[in-house]
Amino acid sequence: MSGTRGRVLAAMSGGVDSSVAAALLAEQGYEVIGATMKLFCYGDHVPDRPCCSLDSIDDARRVCEQIGIPHYVLNLESAFGRDVIDDFVSEYAAGRTPIPCVRCNTFTKFRDLLHKAQALECDWIATGHYARALGGELLRGADPAKDQSYFLWGIDRAVVRRMLLPVGALSKPETRRRAHALGLDVVAEKRESQDICFVPDGDHAAVLARHLGPDAPALAPGRFVDSAGRPLGEHQGYARFTVGQRRGLPGGSPEPLYVIAIRPDTREVVIGPKAELLGRGVIARSVNWLVDAPPSAGDHVHVQVRHRAPAAPAEIVRLENGEIELALDEPVSAITPGQSLVMFDGDRVLGGALIAASRAARPTLPILAA
Amino acid sequence: MPQPIYLDHAATTPVRREVFEAMEPFYGPRFGNPSSTHRWGRDARAALDAARERLATCLGAQSSEVFFTSGGTEGDNTAIVGPYMAVRDSGKRAVVTTPIEHKAVLGAMHFAHAQGAEERILSMSHAGVVDRASYDALVRPDVAVVSVMWVNNEIGVVQDIAALATVAKSRGVLFHTDGVQAFGKVAIDARAVPFDLLTFSGHKIGAPKGIGGLYVRHGTPCEPLLHGGSQNRGLRPGTENVAAAVGLARAAELAIAEREAEMRRLGMLRDRLERAILARVPDAVVHGGGGPRAPHILNVSVPGTDSESMLMALDLAGVACSSGSACTSGSVDPSHVLAALGVPRELAVAAVRMSLGSLTTDDAIDRVSELFPALVAKARRLAGAAA
Repeated sequence: MSGTRGRVLAAMSGGVDSSVAAALLAEQGYEVIGATMKLFCYGDHVPDRPCCSLDSIDDARRVCEQIGIPHYVLNLESAFGRDVIDDFVSEYAAGRTPIPCVRCNTFTKFRDLLHKAQALECDWIATGHYARALGGELLRGADPAKDQSYFLWGIDRAVVRRMLLPVGALSKPETRRRAHALGLDVVAEKRESQDICFVPDGDHAAVLARHLGPDAPALAPGRFVDSAGRPLGEHQGYARFTVGQRRGLPGGSPEPLYVIAIRPDTREVVIGPKAELLGRGVIARSVNWLVDAPPSAGDHVHVQVRHRAPAAPAEIVRLENGEIELALDEPVSAITPGQSLVMFDGDRVLGGALIAASRAARPTLPILAA
Repeated sequence: MPQPIYLDHAATTPVRREVFEAMEPFYGPRFGNPSSTHRWGRDARAALDAARERLATCLGAQSSEVFFTSGGTEGDNTAIVGPYMAVRDSGKRAVVTTPIEHKAVLGAMHFAHAQGAEERILSMSHAGVVDRASYDALVRPDVAVVSVMWVNNEIGVVQDIAALATVAKSRGVLFHTDGVQAFGKVAIDARAVPFDLLTFSGHKIGAPKGIGGLYVRHGTPCEPLLHGGSQNRGLRPGTENVAAAVGLARAAELAIAEREAEMRRLGMLRDRLERAILARVPDAVVHGGGGPRAPHILNVSVPGTDSESMLMALDLAGVACSSGSACTSGSVDPSHVLAALGVPRELAVAAVRMSLGSLTTDDAIDRVSELFPALVAKARRLAGAAA
């Protein structure tokens, strides 16, 4: 093992991206240690999944064996349960739509795993994310179709300097080609993991039922209403819905209906036509900045309110106590509480926050006293 | 990196040269099936019978009381489920064990429970020794089988099997002991100690993985788990692994012949390592140190560290140790043994087991005596910096 460029702990899910990341770093002369995080109990009726399964641990182990680096399985089950799964459950119970991957990155990968890396005297931590870390700043991945920077806004800014994201400079097809070229045929053509790793078959309601109990209000029947409060039918639990959703709504309306809002207090799911989904303003909390000189009120940024949404121009109108409010130049559809608001300057990730609410009317800068 | 150091003999050991040589003909010219009537069969049969006889001698048993198995897990399962199935209809419907057994015993107990057995768990002293009052209270005539491990695989604590087996016998209760870690390490004599069943395994004593043995005293009711031919008197059908059985017999003979000297040697090395660690890490906690302990195991927790990081750091520095039990994923889980003995969680998650054996040299112990405290200091410094 050479290791002239320092020691790196590579988080390896057993998928193609993190396998190639580890192999590339080893090839570049880093001393790479492979680590697969065990995040939840595999005995819990989780069928085979593209990532996080026992098979995936075996794949990661085989890849490490092939690259010629040590491999360890790190048990982060209790921390992941507390920081990610519990939050996932309580967010749904509160009528919001969480992104557990964001919290996993913030707390599990780039905090808890980083601590493990430090204990092993690693200078770096590497993952298979499609994003780039350059000069202490986080940038979008080179492949716009695969960019995962949206999920990384919550990490501690100081950590960016220690991140190595080698596949962030590649496109997905390039990554697969590199996998073949590196002889990693075990993982080269593995399918993408689309679902949330701890939610079997995409059935998040089943996970909620297990944690909250089947009689929880979030899973109890409630009313569909329109924005004027008129009842439009009954649903089987507001936690089964997210803003912008069409599936599972009552039919019979001349135009397609969407979920506009969720009201956990009354267990109402507000539905309406597409026009009602549009927001001109967004309020978000728990702001985290990833740049030395973050923007302030009056500055213009580009924002993304969901993964794969195009970046939309916006103006910061309020920023105080970790809460931010932005005015959107053009209306944006389906701004969803619980999702992430990520702010960009071109490819640079400026920071992000958790969406608390959308506003139908465009907010304005407060008029300052002269 | 200097020569790596293997301190995980309780997990497995290398096959000894003498054992390998003893087995080799049975992978070549002496390949026969011992159940065949022709000359090849007779030759294999003779070797198998001799292996059984030699093992019987090692155990103070008769050869008809020795059965070949695939290893410790099969032996434990057969020795618990077999007797339970055989006697449950006579009103003996309880099974008794300790909370510090190997998962093979605990799993077999849970299986018996699923088949209708009442499962009773003995209380333990903090040192890891069976509480005699609890034993007295739970081992009643309604018990089908009681199982107590002779030497604990994680902390090395040795139980008073002679006394426990005697009590069970006086109450008409079948007594099994998981002897996987005891075999070749402590004196075992079926003529002196009235256990009814004893499980042992080959790969802990220099025989290959996949072979083990079960001692079943004459007259002990025991149903087979597998069904088929008449091999092993029907208790364990299937064509015998002749080569491995011969290897097991050879390994057992060697281990028993060398036992006293080797255990003295390992005990001195273990104590030296323990003293060196405690001298430089005074707040380290040695598990199982308060009671009788097998000489080849040292299990130590350093407050403020965690097993996972220590094992990785040791491995990266070339030293192979383990925590308690590894789970299927290969990750480190807190030990059920330490939890059962009331070890606080923050200490249990820091446990590192070092187990000595044939590969352990004076030099290796000296190096680990230096390295372990150095890694502890580093881990604590980093933990302090992270906090």
